[in-house]
Amino acid sequence: MPPCIVKQNGVPNITVRSSSSHRVSPHFLALAVSLLLAVAVGAQTPVETHAKIQLVSEEKSIRPGGSSWLGVRFQLDPGWHIYWQNPGDSGEPPIIEWRLPAGFRAGTIRWPWPIRLGTNSVRDYGYEGEVLLMASIDAPTNMNASTPVPIAATVKYIVCREICVPGKSDITLSLPPNSLPFDEPSPWQGLFRITMALLPKPLPSAWKASAVSVGDHFILSLKGPGSAEKLMFFPLDRNVIENAAPQNLESRHGALRLTLKKSEHLLKPVSNLRGVIFLDQYRVFEIAVPVKSS
Amino acid sequence: MDTIFWSQFGVRMQRKLIICLAAGAFAVALSLSTVWAARVGERAPDFTGTDTNGKVHKLSDYAGKYVVLEWHNRGCPFTAKHYDSGNMQRLQHDWTARGVIWLTVISSAPGKQGYITAADENAFLKQSNAAPTAVLLDPTGALGRLYDAKTTPQMFIIDPQGTLIYNGAIDDRATTDAADINGARNYVSLALGEAMAGKPVSNPSTRPYGCSVKYPE
Repeated sequence: MPPCIVKQNGVPNITVRSSSSHRVSPHFLALAVSLLLAVAVGAQTPVETHAKIQLVSEEKSIRPGGSSWLGVRFQLDPGWHIYWQNPGDSGEPPIIEWRLPAGFRAGTIRWPWPIRLGTNSVRDYGYEGEVLLMASIDAPTNMNASTPVPIAATVKYIVCREICVPGKSDITLSLPPNSLPFDEPSPWQGLFRITMALLPKPLPSAWKASAVSVGDHFILSLKGPGSAEKLMFFPLDRNVIENAAPQNLESRHGALRLTLKKSEHLLKPVSNLRGVIFLDQYRVFEIAVPVKSS
Repeated sequence: MDTIFWSQFGVRMQRKLIICLAAGAFAVALSLSTVWAARVGERAPDFTGTDTNGKVHKLSDYAGKYVVLEWHNRGCPFTAKHYDSGNMQRLQHDWTARGVIWLTVISSAPGKQGYITAADENAFLKQSNAAPTAVLLDPTGALGRLYDAKTTPQMFIIDPQGTLIYNGAIDDRATTDAADINGARNYVSLALGEAMAGKPVSNPSTRPYGCSVKYPE
């Protein structure tokens, strides 16, 4: 899929690139929605390092005792990428350090499914174009209901193309308190909704996954409703599988079997195989399966 | 061979079976010996490399000594963290003084970040006060692929018997910030210290952190 460069007055060049067929529509939609947005709900222009970073929120305001979604939005220069929570063979994922007023809590980052980056020698997992890393925020019931809530974060990241550049960005957002009986969506709500569709889902009960250790490989088996021509496994833990090895897929007796070469750094047996499996853009699941030895 | 078994096949089929079995046995032998390039606990692959002064080095030249292999790309921010702070140079000085052979390896392909001529690398060594035993230039990436080096930095330690005893990161703080060096556990120093004291290496195989090695496409 060739890169698509979109230019718009006042909006920086954004490239959405799909290196494999599963990446197309949701990211195009995310791009379209974000381009239509005229108002940012309070953001700070970051230091330019091939990535523009903003702090955005799904709602325009925050309710005492309520929960809301925050997001760190990365707009990456064409060809540049940042890394997934397991970066793969090289690179490191971005780290977000929140600075919140007393009583406020931020949840863990939700990672959209990544794309495969790099080469057959050094294989990484991450994002190109645009990505929103979401985290929930909980407001205390006794929060000050008359002044805006100052939210801040420091984002440390490494952005790479042929070379890597470290970046550090301090971003802020001011959320007024919401005293209304309903939520007030921000202009970013569309981007949050699209991103939620890019988050891996728990494995539905109709699907059964199992794993067995056979010599220098794991065999991941998946059985479920409907057919699949494709299956990719993104490991959550480092040093478990060889990221650069091909993942051979076989279809046998209605089950999918994926052969995963073990990492040369794996010296002891693992009890669980954890990660994300990708069948197609509508079926991306989180799995954590016990590993049986053959 | 069991003549009754073989007699049921014609000559052509017998030949095919022999070839097939031989190929199968060869494939198994090949796969058993090359499943992983450089796995801790196994024999470290012997190599031949040329340094920045034109001298040829073989791993087997250093039998009886500890050998450290350090994959390097000075433009990589993770590598720069350890050089700008003087950390890597300190390690090189300290360990070569204790008889360790320290070989820095540059596997960047021509035109890619980290690729450097022998003269320029010698100038960098002088200017940065680095003290490896030698720097091996590996622009074809052959030595990198032999060890399956993925990142810069990536560290390998071979013991005097030729066994790989460490493969992985330089330390346990996977950042580009030099401020993280002081509080980090340096896996190289730990492994050398433990091995020299006759103890097993406690963290022998870690996921290295750094930029990707710039192999030719």
